Amino acid sequence: MSKAGILQIAGILVLLLALLVLPNYLKYHHQDFMIFLFINILVVVSYRLMTLTGEWSLIHIVMMGVGAYTSALLSKNLGFPVWVSMPMAGVSAGLMAALLCFPLFRMTQFYFLIGSFAVGEAIRLAWIFFVYPFGGSSGVSSIPPPELLGIDFMEPIPYFYLVLSVVTICLVILYRVENSRFGLTLHAVHWKASLAESVGVNTWKYRSLAFIVASLFVGIAGALKIHYLGNVTPHQFGVGTMVFVLIWVIVGGYNTFFGPILGAIVLSVLDESLRDLEEFRPAIYGVILIAAIMFMPKGLESVPSGIRQWFSQRKSPG
Amino acid sequence: MAKTPPAVFQQRFSRRRFLGTTIAGMGAALTASMPRISVADAKTVKIGMNIPMTGDYAPWGLPGLYGCEIIANNLNAAGGVEIGGDKYMIEMASYDHGYDTEKSVQGFKKLVLEDDVKMVMMLGGSTVASIIPWAMRKKMLTTTLLPSDITPDTPYLVATCESHPLYNVTGVEWLAEKNPDLKTAVIITTNDIEYGKQSAATYKAAFEVAGIDVLDTNFHGFDVVDFAPIVSSLLAKKPDIFCMATDVYTTPIIEQLFHQGYEGKIVSCTCDGYPDVIAKTSKEFVEGLVFQFPDFDDPKLVGGDVNFPDPGGFDAAFNKDHAGEWSAVAWEYPSILLNWVESAQAAGSIEPTEVLQAMKSDESPAHTFGPGKWWGAALWGLDNAVIGDWPVVAINDGRARIQEFRSVYNWCETNVAELSKQMKDLDLRVA
Repeated sequence: MSKAGILQIAGILVLLLALLVLPNYLKYHHQDFMIFLFINILVVVSYRLMTLTGEWSLIHIVMMGVGAYTSALLSKNLGFPVWVSMPMAGVSAGLMAALLCFPLFRMTQFYFLIGSFAVGEAIRLAWIFFVYPFGGSSGVSSIPPPELLGIDFMEPIPYFYLVLSVVTICLVILYRVENSRFGLTLHAVHWKASLAESVGVNTWKYRSLAFIVASLFVGIAGALKIHYLGNVTPHQFGVGTMVFVLIWVIVGGYNTFFGPILGAIVLSVLDESLRDLEEFRPAIYGVILIAAIMFMPKGLESVPSGIRQWFSQRKSPG
Repeated sequence: MAKTPPAVFQQRFSRRRFLGTTIAGMGAALTASMPRISVADAKTVKIGMNIPMTGDYAPWGLPGLYGCEIIANNLNAAGGVEIGGDKYMIEMASYDHGYDTEKSVQGFKKLVLEDDVKMVMMLGGSTVASIIPWAMRKKMLTTTLLPSDITPDTPYLVATCESHPLYNVTGVEWLAEKNPDLKTAVIITTNDIEYGKQSAATYKAAFEVAGIDVLDTNFHGFDVVDFAPIVSSLLAKKPDIFCMATDVYTTPIIEQLFHQGYEGKIVSCTCDGYPDVIAKTSKEFVEGLVFQFPDFDDPKLVGGDVNFPDPGGFDAAFNKDHAGEWSAVAWEYPSILLNWVESAQAAGSIEPTEVLQAMKSDESPAHTFGPGKWWGAALWGLDNAVIGDWPVVAINDGRARIQEFRSVYNWCETNVAELSKQMKDLDLRVA
């Protein structure tokens, strides 16, 4: 392993250790914030996997809802243990994505974006329309938390560790996926689709697989969220929430694995600190988005390299 | 039906009137009667409000905070409230959840664990449902304006003021009595369970009991921008009464009724923005429009069984600083706050479980418009809502004026089977 690789792993381990002790020094309110932040990180990273193929969708948050509803109904109505219903949430979101591949991937680019929005809204409206079993606009409430060795997962600190564990495992898997042969093929499908097809790559299949895998992980994120909230409603998965995900990814940058994570962290912290300016939040987000597109088209992830480049240019005159 | 007879509800000494008197200027006398307790010695008790203060639902949150601050300031200016031998100043702690379930959970926990509030007031619906598991486990006294949030598993959740949408029955009952020639109605409402369908089921039951046929019910989404076709299709049924079961779109719907030449009666659950409605239609068109929420400078709120200190003064104080922001919650949350003060004084404690016990042990609890009764087991599985009299309001010469008070409790006791049937028909939860 190279020296840079060792340093990277050491840095991640230090970060994980810091996260292990962090909740004990936070207020309850901030412990909750951290839980939702980690879930949002899984949302944006799984979304990025989808974007590797060059397709941007507006259905990702709805797939999160598919996972959330699955886990809620399995655990509450059918008595499944949460430890079973959570993985099933991912499986159901993946299966739903597999079904949707057939109509959705007949389209590409802008048409795919709009098509994904329409299908997502249809699913969301079905949750509202079918009061049984989805609970209509009120959704499903009193969803049980996980149970394990008498640990109270309704309290923020135990749930923080659960979320930290699950999200870390998911991120490691997603990172491995992206850097595998499969991940490299996704890049090829994006940038050189015709060339890839000429050497036998089935681009439809790879686009579909990216969508399915991304949905699987965001389904798990949905389950993590609702077993902490104890409640799931269709409103949690509206296009407004999807817009926030898009902004996090765009502002953070989507060229590297860490860009969307950076975007989610920075904008979530900013969002929380703007609580007293709630009415201005959409405007502030708009300004940030425009500024990011104009002055940081590669996102926040490009800032360190930009600074390094600036210093190196100063050091080497001419 | 007449106003609730005294025989039904035990006449009681109104601590709230005592509070009102105190607020009106007896602070000095109070201080004199307890010379050893000074304001400097007073402790502070925090009351939480986990409500929408921004976004689409803000009109059902923010005015309530303003109202509570007026009441709390008045109580504090009079030296605070004495509970269990200690003097307490009231402090409001608020959190804006923007009607988002995720933020509702965060806000509730912050208020309870960081601000150490002794009661949390909420609007209701999914934002209440999301906090129920945790709140009930913590035995935190929580209030809602939607008693349909109450289930057998929510012993610490109470609805002590608004009983949405049960009060609607009084408006229909009154209208039918005054206009026996009215025989048909149509209903328009939002398609959500928390507000729209609950209200539609209640109106349907009220119309059924009053012998009025409901010709059609339109459940529309929250994304409607043009009500012309919906209103046209409903008016094609030629109804005697046009009923709006939720208030979110009152103004554009009444505008459509005006432009399409409707000449029948209009009934609405609420009509907080009626001056705006008049401005967009005409005073003559909305004359006689029946709804359920009074202005607080209404002469009929003075005296009688009304349990709200100096409603006119409160109305003036509110409009002085927050003109144009009045909505029903402006007095509803303060009313709940006053309920809490009375119960805490009765309990001699500020602890949530003891205050709740004092609340529930009062068989005839003070309700804003007179003595009430704990009710709800027949519909939601638990008697945790206080219902009593409620005013029937109609627009007369451009002003909302109380026509009379009627008993929601008596109606519910008599007609709960019909109400339950209508709720079930709309797939609503019934115990």
